[in-house]
Amino acid sequence: MSDATPDAFDPITLEIYWNRLISAADEAATGLLRTAFSTIVRESNDFATVLMDRNGNSVSENTGGLASFSCILPRTTKDFLTRFPAETWKPGDTIVTNDPWLATGHLPDFTVVTGIFHRGKLVGFSGSISHSPDVGGALWSADCREIFEEGIRIPPSRLLREGAWNQQLLDILLGNVRVPRQVLGDLQAQVVAAEVGARRVAEFLEDTGLPDLQGLSAALSERADRAMRRAIAEVPDGTWHSEITADGFDDKHTRIVCKVTVRGDTMHIDYAGTSPQIDRGINCVMNYTHAYSVYPVKCALDPFTPRNEGSYQAITVAAPERSILNPLYPAPVSARQLTGHLLAGAIYQALAQVIPNKVIADCGGAPTMRALFSGTRPDGDSFSQVLFASGGMGACPHKDGMSATAFPTNVGAGSIEAYESVAPIIVRKKRLRVDSGGPGTFRGGLGQEIELQLDTDAPARLSLLSDRHQNPAGGILGGLPGGPSVIAFGDGTKPHPKSRTSIGPRESVLLLYAGGGGYGDPKKRAREAVMEDLRHGYISAAAAKTIYGVE
Amino acid sequence: MTTTASARVGVDVGGTFTDLVLHDPVRNIVRTGKLLTTPDDPSEAILNGIARILREAELKPEDVHSVIHGTTLVTNTIIERTGATVGLLTTEGFRDSIEIGRETRYDLYDLFLETPALLVPRARRLEIPERIASDGRILLPLDEAAVVAATKQLVEAEGAEAIAVGFLHSYHSPQHEKRAGEIIRALYPNLPVSLSAEVAPEIREFERISTASANAYVQPLMARYLDRVQTTLQSTGFRGHLYIMLSGGGITTVREAKDFPIRLIESGPAAGAMASAFISRLTGLEHVVSFDMGGTTAKMCLVDHHEPNHKFDFEAGRVRRFQKGSGLPLKVSVVDMIEIGAGGGSLARIDPGSGLMKVGPRSAGAKPGPVCYGRGGTEPAVTDADLVLGRLDPAYFLGGEMALNLDPVRRAFETRITAETGIAVEQAALGVQRIVDETMASATRMHLAEKGKDPRRYTMIAFGGAGPVHAWNLARLLKIKRLVVPLGAGVASALGFLVAPPATDMVRSYVARLERIDWTRVNALFAEMKAAGSALLTEAGATPGSITFRPVAEMRHVGQGFEIPVLLPGLELSDADLPTIRERFFAAYRDRFERVVEESPIEALSWRLSCSAPGWTIDLAGAVPRTAEAGPAAPRTQRRVLFEGAGWLDCPVYDRYALRAGARITGPALIEERESTCVVGPGSEVVVDDFLNLVIDVT
Repeated sequence: MSDATPDAFDPITLEIYWNRLISAADEAATGLLRTAFSTIVRESNDFATVLMDRNGNSVSENTGGLASFSCILPRTTKDFLTRFPAETWKPGDTIVTNDPWLATGHLPDFTVVTGIFHRGKLVGFSGSISHSPDVGGALWSADCREIFEEGIRIPPSRLLREGAWNQQLLDILLGNVRVPRQVLGDLQAQVVAAEVGARRVAEFLEDTGLPDLQGLSAALSERADRAMRRAIAEVPDGTWHSEITADGFDDKHTRIVCKVTVRGDTMHIDYAGTSPQIDRGINCVMNYTHAYSVYPVKCALDPFTPRNEGSYQAITVAAPERSILNPLYPAPVSARQLTGHLLAGAIYQALAQVIPNKVIADCGGAPTMRALFSGTRPDGDSFSQVLFASGGMGACPHKDGMSATAFPTNVGAGSIEAYESVAPIIVRKKRLRVDSGGPGTFRGGLGQEIELQLDTDAPARLSLLSDRHQNPAGGILGGLPGGPSVIAFGDGTKPHPKSRTSIGPRESVLLLYAGGGGYGDPKKRAREAVMEDLRHGYISAAAAKTIYGVE
Repeated sequence: MTTTASARVGVDVGGTFTDLVLHDPVRNIVRTGKLLTTPDDPSEAILNGIARILREAELKPEDVHSVIHGTTLVTNTIIERTGATVGLLTTEGFRDSIEIGRETRYDLYDLFLETPALLVPRARRLEIPERIASDGRILLPLDEAAVVAATKQLVEAEGAEAIAVGFLHSYHSPQHEKRAGEIIRALYPNLPVSLSAEVAPEIREFERISTASANAYVQPLMARYLDRVQTTLQSTGFRGHLYIMLSGGGITTVREAKDFPIRLIESGPAAGAMASAFISRLTGLEHVVSFDMGGTTAKMCLVDHHEPNHKFDFEAGRVRRFQKGSGLPLKVSVVDMIEIGAGGGSLARIDPGSGLMKVGPRSAGAKPGPVCYGRGGTEPAVTDADLVLGRLDPAYFLGGEMALNLDPVRRAFETRITAETGIAVEQAALGVQRIVDETMASATRMHLAEKGKDPRRYTMIAFGGAGPVHAWNLARLLKIKRLVVPLGAGVASALGFLVAPPATDMVRSYVARLERIDWTRVNALFAEMKAAGSALLTEAGATPGSITFRPVAEMRHVGQGFEIPVLLPGLELSDADLPTIRERFFAAYRDRFERVVEESPIEALSWRLSCSAPGWTIDLAGAVPRTAEAGPAAPRTQRRVLFEGAGWLDCPVYDRYALRAGARITGPALIEERESTCVVGPGSEVVVDDFLNLVIDVT
């Protein structure tokens, strides 16, 4: 054990060491992002890198990574340690899993963790989570009834043993996916990232003369914990409730019941009363529920302290077993984001009752709406492309919500020119959707209207993962809901919003992305702001008159 | 121009100062000058400055061969949003591309993010029925009547002073944009028009159309400005050429600068990198980190084989200056430089949440400046820490023009840092230095890592007022073994104007898998770019035979998100070149990522041609003030300096201007010149080379 106690680090040294470890995680992320093959990783930012101490506690994380992933990875690593005890690790050992319950809640995400060695001793772990191009099973979809349909599940296993690939495991995995070369390419990128992180930490220990990360990790954790507790302590004690309804599946709407309790410098979030798990892939495992509960709290209360293991120690989260927020194996979970992304809205609706100036209204981009097209190009090559686009964010206490921007996830959108050059699809339009921003003193961000047309003589498959068709993003403190999601084919028929369907040659499909909720009474919106919205076509003349009372 | 017209003058108009540098190779003169910028009419300071520097050099306007001009006007216009009223024509269905953008939040945790204000608001973005597919098929012909109607509406109802046109897939099929341009020019012959296919012919509509819009936004102002500079210069008897510095470090003609003013966005910072490139050539250094640290920022740039690294995208007018993703993306050729919020004015504080010390990016700027300036600053800054640590001489700041006051500095550290943390003033000051140096080191490591480069192979060239003060420690943190500090920290950057070659970077997009590339098409693209580049460079002063062409393809594995530039074997290519190209791609890939994925297909996206003529050279010996007396390397005084890990050490203080080639000094030592002090840590050896650079062995 290290002799260094948390107090051994002064506020200057700690700042320097922390920044250095964050930039080590950033370097690992750069390695991953640049060598990854799957479009989903780079277009959707669907990855994270984390550096951990010997106990699997997070020390630092990459700056731009997906917040839920960096929160979950240390939990997964701690599970690895129960299966592969610390004393059994050798340099070059790398463990992989995509188990939804141990990791990020659905099969497409691979968690890869390597040991960090310094002077022959295991001192920590360098890991990443990345969304794989394919895991076999059904296409990425929301309508599977059991996890077995959703793809291949790899329990925690050695991907590399002392630097040598586990060929048997690779053969099994690659023999079960549609695009083995890309899946392997991305796994290799994750291994590169893990190695970069491990190397940088070893150099850091060499430079600083520290024997290991334990003392430093405890000190950093204590600082992050202190910052979060200080922020929570500023919230008055009390308990606040909220409830959100989602479209669910078919006629089974799902309910999220949320209770937030603040006591001194701690917070407890409880989902008792939430709908039971269902037999479709929108169940959200506890790891994911936890991650998407604590992340929005940090955004609202302590946005600027870098995150590590300490950040969320003051917050506890509970969800009843066999509920949609804590389903048990073998529940289908592939589209768990359709449920998990809604938690931020539920928590903010509760917190709006006590700290209205620190939260935003519900987001149209939560959950994300995804359309995945796959088929054959005229030149015979196959294609499979997810259309990345987002609805509008909820309005803020002092300004309008951001249009076409996702929250709580941070999904980017690629270029339409690049999209059209790989998929035989013509995007007829992609623009802001008038009147979709929830009215309020501050208006919700606008969603988008996107029309696509299949540009081949053969039909293609279309998988849809969406919500908010019947339950748009709610406003807060008198703000009104944003526009709901709509998906319709050219002939006006509406496909099931969570289904695998097909689209005919030259047929078009219109996707309307939901707008964010409004904040405060729309009648109190500044007249000039309404006139500006009208002038730029963000709202219609009818809306200006009937909703805002401005002609 | 007469045969005596041999002087060249570089003029850099910055936000606060207009810097000038003059070099006359025939008469062997180097002169520098600095005066306050005249914001209302920047040409006033330019004229006054040129008049003054000519007077000092005893030259006449007719003796000037050329004036090379760099300006922050484009940057400032975008930052301050003081550009033209622009109208934008887009493909039907896509008026919002520049507003929707990439749909990401640049800060994961900030719920109330500020986004950059739009250069072209929605009401001035009109859609035109037309559509070309990604393979060039015309799906919908251009509706010419709609172009007429939309342009009229933009000009007459919306008051547009410039028009940008951005249609989908114009990077390879520009015909609709070009036709729209003709229609607009026929309607309003004097209205500036920016076509996205001409400003930035690259795939990805958001970035391309943003760039075209930004070009239109600054175009009317820059055209008026450049005309005025040219006219007023001529009115003084100047008969030489006026060239303009580009963001990529080359120089170009006034006409080109008026057509594509957005390419001037980083023209000032590019000069510093060109100066480093010049010094690296003089001193024979193949791999250099150029480090320029001033009052509010530090800038780093890699210079390999005497060429600054380039990149082809830039972010202007960031809402948060040092936050990637918070600005407007521009597809322009720029020197690949990182800017860090770490300068002499960066402020130190204790973060209330975590209780840790933070330094920067908030800066005291020029006003009030650090506490030691005595102009009302109350928060300790990096310069204040340098003063406490003994690195700066309170009596010899800016050559003694400005006296620094230590007492209020100590009080500031006591109230802001010691009272909060119990850390003593000296240790707090050392902490500021450690944090700011580590911040710069981290950013540099990251920059090198993104390119797969190893800092240990690099030499650092340091300049700027604060550069030589921090360079030794920074080099140590980066494990860089050698440091070069050129003479005249404040002058070094301006030299870049005088050594910059006529140059231009051209690009065309054509996306194809390597084995399916139509080489006839590629060769035609290169031929077209070569002809245009030669014509432009000849106009910018190059002799036709001296121009070199560097053809590069931006390549990647199909499906990957990042392109790698690959140098091509020539301008006329065929399938026979495929093995070479593939090999070079793998070599470049391995350089960056330490592995290759041989079996995965490769595609090319863009084709670039860098055209440049040989740069100029300068003899710096003419830059030593005549008043300085040569002498042995004898210290003029001694001062105590606090070094991390070594404690307070007695340091001899040398006068930089008295050091001659061959002089040797052993650290710890301080070497002072007017605008800066070079700090040399214990054990390091310093040699003054033939060009009067300090060459420091950092061990």
